[in-house]
Amino acid sequence: MAKTTETVERAQYLSFSLAGSEYGVGILKVKEILQYESVTKVPSTPRSVRGVINLRGQVVPVIDLAAKFGLPETEVTRLTCILIVEVLLEGQPTVIGVLADAVREVIELGSDDVEPAPAFGTQVKVDFLLGMGKVGKRFVLLLDLDRVISADEKEFAREVAAAPADAPDAQPAAATSAA
Amino acid sequence: MDELEIDRELLTQTFLAEAEETLARMEQALVALEATPGDDELLHAVFRDAHTLKGGASLVGFDPVRDLAHDLEDVLERLRNRSLTVTDTLVTLLLRSVDVLRSALTDAAGGSATPSQAVLTFRSHLADAAQAAGGAAPAAGGDAPPHSPRDGGEGGASGGDGGAPEPAIPHAASRTLRVDVGKLDRMLDLSGEIAIARGRLTELLERRGGGADDALEAHRDADRLYLDLQELIMRARMVAIGPTFHQHVRTVRDVATAAGKHARLVVEGEDVEVDTAVVEHVRDPLTHMVRNAIDHGVEPPEVRRARGKDPVGRVVLRALHDAGSMVIQVEDDGGGLDKEKIAAKAVALGLAADAARVTDDDVARVVFEPGLSTAEKVTEISGRGVGMDVVRRNVEALRGAVSIESEPGRGTTVTIRVPLTLAIIQGFKVAVADETFILPLDAVVECVELPPEETARAAPWGVIELRGKPLPYLRLRDHFALAGARPARENVVVVRHGALAAGFAVDVLHGESSTVLKPLGRLFKGVVGVAGSSILGNGRVALMLDVAGLLRETLKRAAQAAAA
Repeated sequence: MAKTTETVERAQYLSFSLAGSEYGVGILKVKEILQYESVTKVPSTPRSVRGVINLRGQVVPVIDLAAKFGLPETEVTRLTCILIVEVLLEGQPTVIGVLADAVREVIELGSDDVEPAPAFGTQVKVDFLLGMGKVGKRFVLLLDLDRVISADEKEFAREVAAAPADAPDAQPAAATSAA
Repeated sequence: MDELEIDRELLTQTFLAEAEETLARMEQALVALEATPGDDELLHAVFRDAHTLKGGASLVGFDPVRDLAHDLEDVLERLRNRSLTVTDTLVTLLLRSVDVLRSALTDAAGGSATPSQAVLTFRSHLADAAQAAGGAAPAAGGDAPPHSPRDGGEGGASGGDGGAPEPAIPHAASRTLRVDVGKLDRMLDLSGEIAIARGRLTELLERRGGGADDALEAHRDADRLYLDLQELIMRARMVAIGPTFHQHVRTVRDVATAAGKHARLVVEGEDVEVDTAVVEHVRDPLTHMVRNAIDHGVEPPEVRRARGKDPVGRVVLRALHDAGSMVIQVEDDGGGLDKEKIAAKAVALGLAADAARVTDDDVARVVFEPGLSTAEKVTEISGRGVGMDVVRRNVEALRGAVSIESEPGRGTTVTIRVPLTLAIIQGFKVAVADETFILPLDAVVECVELPPEETARAAPWGVIELRGKPLPYLRLRDHFALAGARPARENVVVVRHGALAAGFAVDVLHGESSTVLKPLGRLFKGVVGVAGSSILGNGRVALMLDVAGLLRETLKRAAQAAAA
């Protein structure tokens, strides 16, 4: 944990709200922000995979982080956005979309503004966090998207493999991440 | 300095690409030479190729390759001046030298500047062969050099010599250009995206109505040009299947020799053109099929004689165009499928209940099941139970189909049918709940309305009667767990894959359209029943269904229900 705080020097994050909390992702990861448009569902995928969209001719998957964190699925409102981000998936840069209830602002944090993530008390597994960013009096959960998405992929592979026999297999994992 | 390095890198790449073609050409010529030993033209061709290779290798500094090609030239030179004669053993040695050249090329390309032990050993074999010409050899060798370009080998080969064989190639008239396939792929991608964008524009202009008439007309004029361009891009990707077929001349010879049989390859329809991506994908299945034809099909010479056939077996590789697909057939004049053995094996594997009741159709189907092999001993080539199922999987991955026909004592024909192009297909759009799905049009046979009693039953699958025959169907709404109210009337799309047919129940039929296929990406590797995606005119993504997979799923359920 200490290591990750050191690597965060003065950096910019894009903050967004999702399921009642405020999250941040490194601004360099974000390629663009789209208004929510219809997403095509892909059958037999986990809850956290919302589907795919057309990004200027490229087919891009959309991930619902709330479902990923074991919370109820994100409901679409007028403010719902899709952040188009580039993450490393199996070492390959991959473009994906991430749902957000609303995009808030760009924040700049120095390394002294970032606290290590607490081991409990957040909705999100500690592994998925770079730390907690302090903005005035509120805290922003800084996400390590590469890890979140890669974990997603592994869980997905397991779920697909186990799908017909015992789907509940994936539930305990989701439950612990919510704890 | 840097630029020099880049030049060298380019030169090496060009050389490697050309060397591969040169070696393939040499192989073909050598096998042909074995059949017609007196053909000097073939011998000259091989010699020219060996010489070209030597010049090129020397230019890029692949010394082991150069020396090997030089030794090969020595042997060929003896053949040219008749101090050696063409024998089977010699041809085998020459073919081996092509293999060794290939591996030496790979080593050299990997950065190794010294010849490997295998290369050195082989060179001594070649030298022995060159010496084996006997007493007459030295004299003959003595007067060879003056008219042979080989003398210039050491020094001259570094520069001008590389270009020397050029005029010797008679058919270099057409102007051609090497293009990276990646660029062609990108062109095709873009043309697909333009098609989508234009479709959208047409829709917008049409909705405007009266005021936009002239704009719409101009847009339609431009559309025609665009279609021409798309056609041209597709055509630029088309390559003749011939070179792929000819590679198997060698396979046939080697496999037949290893099995103690005689066979020759006949190629038909080598000018048939197909998308370059398709060629890549049929290569492996083709190898399997050709090997099978010799290993399982063609009989040993004594058996063939006893049956009154030509002791030399015939394997035909045939390509033809048929209704927007390319059909490739591998035909042999061997013994045909051994029905009894296959039936016994099918029973052993639990694929059939009773060997006596296995029909010819069953046999033609079970040979594509994994684990089925009737070869009694496991050879290098077949008998491991992998083969036809791999062929089927590869062909289906191309949205193709494979079938087999056999006549006892007369031979077997395996037919694969693959689309001419992989990127743009004719699709048939259907809708279920809010989602649009696309089926490849060539898989769709017809559409019928789902009978009211079946609609009322609302089961995830069932059986309807189609012109007196039962047709199992799968309700995509349930299969894909899609939400939303079921419509009062549903439709069934009847699809066929190979000899199998089934129906998919959907809400609405939207009809056909030209569709650009896109892969779904790594995140969706494990998804079953979906083959890819495509972008609709309204900008949304539609999923492309995997007909073969869904069809098998339907039939499996129907069979389980019948058994229960």
